[in-house]
Amino acid sequence: MLSCRHLRKSYATERGTVVAVEGIDLDVPAGRFAAVIGRSGSGKSSLMAMIGGLSRPSNGQVLVDSMDIWSLSDAELARFRNGRIGFIFQFASLLPTLRLVDNVALPAMLDHKRAGGDVYGRAATLLARLGLGDHLDAYPTEVSAGEQRRAVIARALINEPQVLLADEPTSDLDEQTEIEIMDELLGVNRELGTTLLLVTHNLALAEQAEQIVHIANGAVVT
Amino acid sequence: MARRPRGLRWLLLGLALQNLGRRKARMLFLIAAVALGSGVVFTGATLMQSINRSMTAGFTRMGADLMVVPEGALTNITAALLVVEPTDLVLDADALGKARLSSVRRSAAQKIVRVQHSGIGSHHDSVDLIGFEPARDFTIQPWLVEKVNRELRRGDVILGAARDAPLGSELLIFGKPHTVYGRLARTGVGTHERGVFMSFATLEALAPAIPGDGGAPPAVLAPGKTTGFLVELAPDATALQARFAILSALKGVKVVSGDSSLGGIRQGLAALLDGILALMVLMFASSALMVSVLFSAIVTERRRELGLLKAIGARRAQVLGMMVSEAVLATGLGGLLGVVLGVLVLRLYEHSLVYYLDRVGVPFLWIDAPTMLAYAVAAIAMASVIGALAVLYPAWRASRRDAYDLVRSEG
Repeated sequence: MLSCRHLRKSYATERGTVVAVEGIDLDVPAGRFAAVIGRSGSGKSSLMAMIGGLSRPSNGQVLVDSMDIWSLSDAELARFRNGRIGFIFQFASLLPTLRLVDNVALPAMLDHKRAGGDVYGRAATLLARLGLGDHLDAYPTEVSAGEQRRAVIARALINEPQVLLADEPTSDLDEQTEIEIMDELLGVNRELGTTLLLVTHNLALAEQAEQIVHIANGAVVT
Repeated sequence: MARRPRGLRWLLLGLALQNLGRRKARMLFLIAAVALGSGVVFTGATLMQSINRSMTAGFTRMGADLMVVPEGALTNITAALLVVEPTDLVLDADALGKARLSSVRRSAAQKIVRVQHSGIGSHHDSVDLIGFEPARDFTIQPWLVEKVNRELRRGDVILGAARDAPLGSELLIFGKPHTVYGRLARTGVGTHERGVFMSFATLEALAPAIPGDGGAPPAVLAPGKTTGFLVELAPDATALQARFAILSALKGVKVVSGDSSLGGIRQGLAALLDGILALMVLMFASSALMVSVLFSAIVTERRRELGLLKAIGARRAQVLGMMVSEAVLATGLGGLLGVVLGVLVLRLYEHSLVYYLDRVGVPFLWIDAPTMLAYAVAAIAMASVIGALAVLYPAWRASRRDAYDLVRSEG
């Protein structure tokens, strides 16, 4: 179970404090596909970052299986991000100086326990499953934007995370590629039982979700 | 499947290496700056130590700054204070050491006894037998022009320039065999040129064979006694200060001054070398500052990459390690280049100025190869450490920030 309790995030700016998320309470049962919708600037990405352990809340808690992730030490939080969360950003987030297979293998290699196995074998299998079997040694700049996004999904899945957080993963892709990527994500949710939290502007896609979280002005509307 | 799997360290190292090549002009500038700094330090340190060594040898040949002898002793005023003059008066050999004077950098005791019928030279020739402490001496051994290829030991003698005997040959003194260990260069100081030099132990062993007044050996040959001391001033002391200090600390002594200009030149050159050292430190510090500013910019530029690494689970230590490796690689390479350039400059120096000095009879003594190698390693290590320190603070600050803030950064 993924839960948020009174989650709040504010930023100090030159023009004063800006509240991005204002006291959100949320429960997403394990294995569920939840869509987060809302207008630009409504606080969706800030919410996802706090849930993913990437941005410390100003107040409140993020509970994963009743564990408050923001009470963890810096090293424990890194281990949590590494092993239990897969994060897909709204931009191509591969390291440009590494090959696709290195990019995908890297999260597994950061954890000594996982690094012992056939990390590269798993990375290659994942990339092949996402249609990139012929591009293992390619660098990110040598493949298309859609292929880069697929590689990012492979990277997010390498450590078999409990929760997959996708922040508008198809924002700048063509319609066909968007469908293919979403099929992959939904396939992961259904086949592996991975909890999927997806930020999207695509209402048709959101309607496929088991739970819709509508956010406006930093708060949950429905 | 990819044919070339890589370990995490190799991946992060590869990442660091590839990042070095991202902005080639800036990285070349950085490496050149570090090369310049470490090259100056390596070359400067090597030259300074070599000059210091050459100076030390040169100046010690010019003799002591002061000579301390018994009050009633007669002394010949010579251009260089190299050796005491014969006298029946004696001092305690530890008198000056016990006084612990701050104006005295070092002192060397000497025993001298003028003898006849020693077996050296013709029958009636008088010979000065001069004893010194090899470990403390600085006015006799620097004049050695040839010697047996080993350390001086008991039973060895060194001959002044006016005496001649093959090296390693046996020389009978009062019937006792001694080995000719070495020969001194010409100094223009009569006692020095005609003297037969040996360690205190060798001279004291001869004492029973040397007849003094009343048949007993001369008093100066007794252990713990000396004819006088040759004194070198401390770097910041004047001859006048030292003279007053010695006269107030020791009773019944006379202080003889040498050529004061030599001491002044030595002290001046020592100050100049200190100044060069300060300049080198300043240059290295400014290189470090520049490297620090450059790495600060590099870290700022790569915040998104650092954020991504954190987002996928890299620990702060791993992020820091990658940045430090990158900096150490760049600055270490700069340090290595600097040392190579420094060696080229030293070669140039050797073929120009050192060659010229040698031709005009001024010896230039390079530091030995292991010391030079140690300087080279130290220069490279210092360059690497500067790189590590320069990147540590900006990387540490970046690694403390939320991954999301870093990912959203421009760069």
